[in-house]
Amino acid sequence: MNKKHSLYAVIYALLLGLVCAAMLTGVDTFTADRKAANAKAEEVRNVLGVLGVPFDAAAQSAELLEVYEANVRTRERGDREFYVYDHPTEGTLNATRFDGPGLWGPVEGFLCLRDDMRTIYAITFYKHEETPGLGGDISTPGFQDQFRGKAISTPAGSGIAIVGDGADGPNEVDAISGATMTSDKVEAMLNETIDDILASGEGS
Amino acid sequence: MASNDPQSCTTCALPGGPCGGKGIATLKDGVWAQNPISIQILGICSALAVTNRLENSLVMGVALIFVCVGSNLFVSLLRNVTPRRIRMIAEVAIIATFVIVFDQILKAYYWEMSKQLGPYVGLIITNCIVMGRAEAFALQNRPVVSIVDGLANGIGYAIVLALIGFFRELVGTGAVFGHVVMPEWYVPNQLAILAPGAFVALGFLIALFNALSGANEEDEGTQP
Repeated sequence: MNKKHSLYAVIYALLLGLVCAAMLTGVDTFTADRKAANAKAEEVRNVLGVLGVPFDAAAQSAELLEVYEANVRTRERGDREFYVYDHPTEGTLNATRFDGPGLWGPVEGFLCLRDDMRTIYAITFYKHEETPGLGGDISTPGFQDQFRGKAISTPAGSGIAIVGDGADGPNEVDAISGATMTSDKVEAMLNETIDDILASGEGS
Repeated sequence: MASNDPQSCTTCALPGGPCGGKGIATLKDGVWAQNPISIQILGICSALAVTNRLENSLVMGVALIFVCVGSNLFVSLLRNVTPRRIRMIAEVAIIATFVIVFDQILKAYYWEMSKQLGPYVGLIITNCIVMGRAEAFALQNRPVVSIVDGLANGIGYAIVLALIGFFRELVGTGAVFGHVVMPEWYVPNQLAILAPGAFVALGFLIALFNALSGANEEDEGTQP
């Protein structure tokens, strides 16, 4: 067939596409198990971290899973799944996943509450695409540690307020300077989660 | 082993050999005389982004060698049957396949590194070195010498990345491969591991390479 013919180009593209797709499918199938194990270990690492379960930072996937199985149990509360850990000094801790849109992409994290389900023990944002140095600072301890001990529900109302002019209330944390959009969106996704947690508590 | 000695591969210099007599010249061009980063200033985005640690730099170098060799080989094998009008799309498809294969393997067997390199392995698809070699070399040359060209450019890239990574990790954290080697009085200069440090390091390196190769050019009188 003439190489300049359009049909030739179409057939060529089709064949090349098939060969490339076959290679990718092969590699994907070949690596699927290990990738799944790694992703699971990553999730387990995040859960253990927010619950304050001690573990070896250099541990392999299998060891992490062992620590997880030995210490953490899950429970349903309303529609929401909680990871529960009996901390030797802090009491029973309950972590739950939250997510929502950030400024540039989806943000995912874990919110960990104390036994009373009203006080924050820890918070972590393990996945985000916010601007490094600005909104990206949500993943730094400096921002996350502010949430420790804050109340998600006070007599005055429920929810966390991320404020720009000096946080002093029991439910207020400082926003990140220069990242108002990220701060607002994080506040919105947290409050949605908090409403959900509070609502699920009423039923039980 | 005598067969591993580059001197004994006489076919590299012979017109009838698998490299058509261009093997050694191609290798030298890619690694030194036409080094993709220090001479052609290509692909510096990744060279700046992932070089805050030596280990990251080396893995990135290996990734580029793998992709460059693979895509050059395939583009060269298909060069006589590829329709000219869609050759670039075909090249990108081939490059993307090799990049994703490497990325998947990294995700499966070297998860920590995969997380640290983040999007930069995937971004090799848009690395102008890879596409440049496919367009400028593999389309016109036979498979074996195209492999040599991909290897040479990959090595040239990897060497520069390793140098920058070594320098930045040493200055920025006082360590090599994560092991602290600097004496206790040394205060790590964090600038080196931040983005501006990458520009500074790359600038010094390009200046050094130019000074060295510029001297050669004057000696040999090849400067026009």
